Amino acid sequence: MSAHKPWPTMLSVMAVMAVMALLAGAPAEAHIASNGFLSLQVTGSHVSGALELAIRDGELAVGLDRDRDGKVNWGELRAGQSSLQSYVSGHLALIGVDGVCKVSFGPLQVNERVDGNYLWLPLNADCGTALERLTIDYRVLQDEDPSHRGLLTLSAHGEVQSAVLGGGSGAGAAGGRLFELVQPSPWSAFIEYLRAGIWHIWSGIDHLLFLLSLLLPAVLVRRQGRWEAVPMAAPAFANIVKVVTAFTLAHSITLSLAAFDLVRLPGRLTESVIAASIIIAALNNVFPRVTEGRWRIAFAFGLLHGFGFASVLAEMGLPKGARLVSLIAFNLGVEAGQLAVVLAVMPLAYLLRSTAFYRRALMPWGSSAIAALALIWFVQRASG
Amino acid sequence: MTAGDALPRALRAKLTVLVTLALGSVALLPAAHATPYVPSSDNVVLADLPAGARYRDLAARRLAQARLDVAVPLAQFYIQQSRLSGDLRYLGYADAVLAPWLNRREPAPDALVLHATIQQSRHEFSAALMTLERALAARPNDPQALLTRATILRVLGRYAQAGAACEQFARWVEPTLAALCIQGVRGLTGQLDSAYAELRQLSPQGWLNTEKSWLYSELGEMAVRLGLDADAQRWFQQDLNLVPTDSYVRAAYADLLLRQGRAGEALTLLQGQESFEPLLLRIALAQKQLHDPRLAQSSARLRAAFAAETQRAESVHRREQARFLLEVENQPQLALATASQNWSLQREPDDALVLVAAARAAGDPAAAAPALDFMRRADLRDARVSAR
Repeated sequence: MSAHKPWPTMLSVMAVMAVMALLAGAPAEAHIASNGFLSLQVTGSHVSGALELAIRDGELAVGLDRDRDGKVNWGELRAGQSSLQSYVSGHLALIGVDGVCKVSFGPLQVNERVDGNYLWLPLNADCGTALERLTIDYRVLQDEDPSHRGLLTLSAHGEVQSAVLGGGSGAGAAGGRLFELVQPSPWSAFIEYLRAGIWHIWSGIDHLLFLLSLLLPAVLVRRQGRWEAVPMAAPAFANIVKVVTAFTLAHSITLSLAAFDLVRLPGRLTESVIAASIIIAALNNVFPRVTEGRWRIAFAFGLLHGFGFASVLAEMGLPKGARLVSLIAFNLGVEAGQLAVVLAVMPLAYLLRSTAFYRRALMPWGSSAIAALALIWFVQRASG
Repeated sequence: MTAGDALPRALRAKLTVLVTLALGSVALLPAAHATPYVPSSDNVVLADLPAGARYRDLAARRLAQARLDVAVPLAQFYIQQSRLSGDLRYLGYADAVLAPWLNRREPAPDALVLHATIQQSRHEFSAALMTLERALAARPNDPQALLTRATILRVLGRYAQAGAACEQFARWVEPTLAALCIQGVRGLTGQLDSAYAELRQLSPQGWLNTEKSWLYSELGEMAVRLGLDADAQRWFQQDLNLVPTDSYVRAAYADLLLRQGRAGEALTLLQGQESFEPLLLRIALAQKQLHDPRLAQSSARLRAAFAAETQRAESVHRREQARFLLEVENQPQLALATASQNWSLQREPDDALVLVAAARAAGDPAAAAPALDFMRRADLRDARVSAR
């Protein structure tokens, strides 16, 4: 065909032959065009989500098959994690009001789809200011396979948009695609921040362990150096209410102060002191010092835990026009999450209070375990 | 109240377990993820990498950026791989190889012809025709460009133009190849009997396998339209003996078997061909006839493939999608909409067939009019359509 060149040189023949020699058995999955699945969720100034790429596409992007056996196994994929992360950093940009958002990656996983296994790369982006619009510049695999597309699912404040990204090699495609985001109504902001509050208290177990350490002895009384079961429900109930109320009141105060930027504490200090508070509360069960009025501990350290909640909220950002509503909702979510756990655990604790297991095993050893765990956190956080 | 003391020992033990579980589950909560997972060991194989899809193959592609004599065979190889496997990614790899040769002030004609072939494979027919115009402007007698143009015009049902393109093609190639192109179009325009007779008289001795395969598949399709199923079966078998990788003929042969209720034989014919979407459709159809429980899996794969295609606004397998909706999913209304849309994109006898069938199933015979009118005007004869 190419009349202007006499014949293909040896080198070019070898290049094509090398490719042909790689002919492998046909896989059993139905072939689907090359798609990356990008799912993003916008909350305030924060974007979280994941990018999924066919492992075959990951190979083409960064070269995963280290032992060159024509297969990619989990060890090879894991070994390629950092090169995948830097590849994605270079080929996917999220751009907010303040410019390009800072993207960080979570640990790599695998997702099975009908056309084979995909690598699943969680990502988080901090865009500085609350997002009213977001530009997504998707250039993944653009050079290696121009038919690759990014199938986007973008959700913001309850509204979901989808789009097909990439494929533009022309000048018009440069700079990415702009997405207008709906601004949350006060109601949707309320639900969103309520959920975030519940999720935070359940996933960050340090606050719960602190509370439980204070509540474990609530169904007991200290007499002559021994733990005994409270004879009646009323004092146990009063103990629980006092501790929970004091904790709630205290962290609500500091959360509000921090959310409106009236007081600010360095994150590392807060996190370390929270860990220390758990150690103190748990050790107080093993070597009791404060046996009456534990609510005072709950209040004092609750103030610090509030700063911990505030750092989560700062990461999410408070939506414009719904700052107060969102703050209240987040706080209510935290209370609801913590109340659910108290309601699940305390009746059982009450029923078990007179058992030897509760008084002589769970109290000292359970508390010691909590203290030990918190000590590890303390060392980690303090050394940063 | 001293409920604790009254509690039986067994119940207390249970409660103890419950408390422990409650505390434990709080700690485990964040680990409860949906679908993504961490494989159990480093040795778990996650993917097989097919030919040309490896990182180190990019070296050959880099070489192709500077040298057309590397780019052309490499792109041809990828296009061939896509045809053999039904894997659309290869078309993207071919795009990547050709891109530097197309994005120039005067694109290389060879690259243009291959680009048109890729567009044709993606069913982007009008774009492919435009690309071919550019190639032919630079090299008016390029036989490959002329043949590709004739083929596309034929798929679009523009038979007069397709015939003219075949005549042009005929001036530059062997008379036997020219006859294949010309009789193929005559067989769709009122002269099916004589076209079939003409092609049967050709003796393919000394032909290349690809040329023989072209002849047998043309004869097989003509026999189907003539209602000569036994003949058709013979041609299809002859073709597959010669070129077992001919998925196009394998699909046509499977359709013939399915029409005759020979689903078991169809499954045997299609064994191991799941990765090719049009063949996976025939597998699903056979499984449906046989009440094979594996139908659920095949359907799920097809649904996912069609969904991805729809989301990307592509139409490579619109005809298959219409048949899937009609014959597997039992959704005649959706099938009719899809078949109508498909008819606006391409007009082969199979496209008419699915539109007529969908219109009938949806209780809207008038919707079949575009296809039936077209067949009447062209004098296109097809025993399968008449049988309905």
